[in-house]
Amino acid sequence: MYINEDLCIACRSCVPYCPVGAIRVEEPDRVYIDQEHCTECGTCLRMARCPSDALVEPAEVYQEPRSVRKFFSDPMATHKETLLPGRGTEEVKTNDVTARVKRGQVGIAIEMGRPVLGTTMAEVEKVIKRLAALGIRLEKNNPLSYLVDDPETGTLKPWAKKERVISCIIEFSVPAERLRELLTAIRELAEEVDTVFSLDLITRFDEEGNIPVIPILEEMGIHYRPNAKINLGLGRPLREE
Amino acid sequence: MTHSLHRRGSIESLKKDYVLLFTPAANINHEGSHDKLREIVDIIAEAGPTNIGSYEVRNIYDGSTIEDIRANLSKAKVPRVRCCFSDREKVLRVLKKVKERDFGISVTVSGLIDEVLAMAREIGLKPHSINLSLGVWGRTERLPSETIMEIVTMCGHGMLAASLVKEQVELVRRGKKTARQAAEELARPCTCGIVNVDRAEGILTRYLKEGEK
Repeated sequence: MYINEDLCIACRSCVPYCPVGAIRVEEPDRVYIDQEHCTECGTCLRMARCPSDALVEPAEVYQEPRSVRKFFSDPMATHKETLLPGRGTEEVKTNDVTARVKRGQVGIAIEMGRPVLGTTMAEVEKVIKRLAALGIRLEKNNPLSYLVDDPETGTLKPWAKKERVISCIIEFSVPAERLRELLTAIRELAEEVDTVFSLDLITRFDEEGNIPVIPILEEMGIHYRPNAKINLGLGRPLREE
Repeated sequence: MTHSLHRRGSIESLKKDYVLLFTPAANINHEGSHDKLREIVDIIAEAGPTNIGSYEVRNIYDGSTIEDIRANLSKAKVPRVRCCFSDREKVLRVLKKVKERDFGISVTVSGLIDEVLAMAREIGLKPHSINLSLGVWGRTERLPSETIMEIVTMCGHGMLAASLVKEQVELVRRGKKTARQAAEELARPCTCGIVNVDRAEGILTRYLKEGEK
């Protein structure tokens, strides 16, 4: 996104809408978008009601490398490969039909940059390289998989690394017996990354309706929030296993 | 994406906050799901949601109506319905009808675990899977205050700027807007329509009374 400075009247109405603070004001009357920080989420264009139509989204935001910003930041942009809007997969939302996470497995998502801070793809690479060394392979329907150059090492395509996005979700499933090992690695990674991440853990309920991972979280001293997202099992055909 | 998972706030506040997502699985059961989703929108409309949105025409605080959302579902190859409620009884009413109609569309409810599981028991559902939030890790010292986080995390896609919250608080403080009007402005950037305006209004009111915490 950029501001056509010939049209801009410096009213600043767009400034508070930018989720990453990329709209800069240079006193007395210059307003511009810092291209390095802009994530191409489109919020300013949709929300700010620019009185002089000075906000411009160029076609390049849908072309590499700028498209990385667009597809990982604007929830209204649908990835052409996965048919999914947003930045991840349907994760638990359709697990009753897809069986992405089966009994005896756990699904883990590391939501890089979420909340508020955003992330560069170089920070994302830092995490997936570590996971690759542990033999983890990413969820193939996650758009991130299309940016991985070498799944063995977790390196990203070189042209993508400098891009900045609102969030990028690193998703994978592992046998439940690896949960302690993975959470230990993630705990270490939290000390190394130069941003924040939100951490998600998907599991099936057991036959009695219990959440089988809770004893492990308690044993490791990992807090889980009292609110969660629950799939009610109404999808068909229902995949039990 | 887990845009409804990491909402923050006290138990009391979260007791009045439920996000419902109706999602056909891409390439499994999305073919022919449009009519089912339209019927689901009717059920939601009848119950009276706090907010509802769509990737096709935005949310009801940003110039769309529920009728627009329903009419434009066909624009999406894989249609989805997202909404939120403040009232547990309304959620129960929606879920009961959706269960009865047996649409075969996956449904998730984001809310307090104990409350959602109690609702499932009440209407005879056997929940399938759960996505737990294990919180925020890394450079958390760079995040805004908890009061701001309670509001901005209601748009899990991160479209709701902390700077917008601060601007709206100032407008209310100066008497230019009511807390309700400010809450409705804060709901606009969340296309999905899952910013709970009732809850945002309550948080803004508290913010103005007690300051940022």
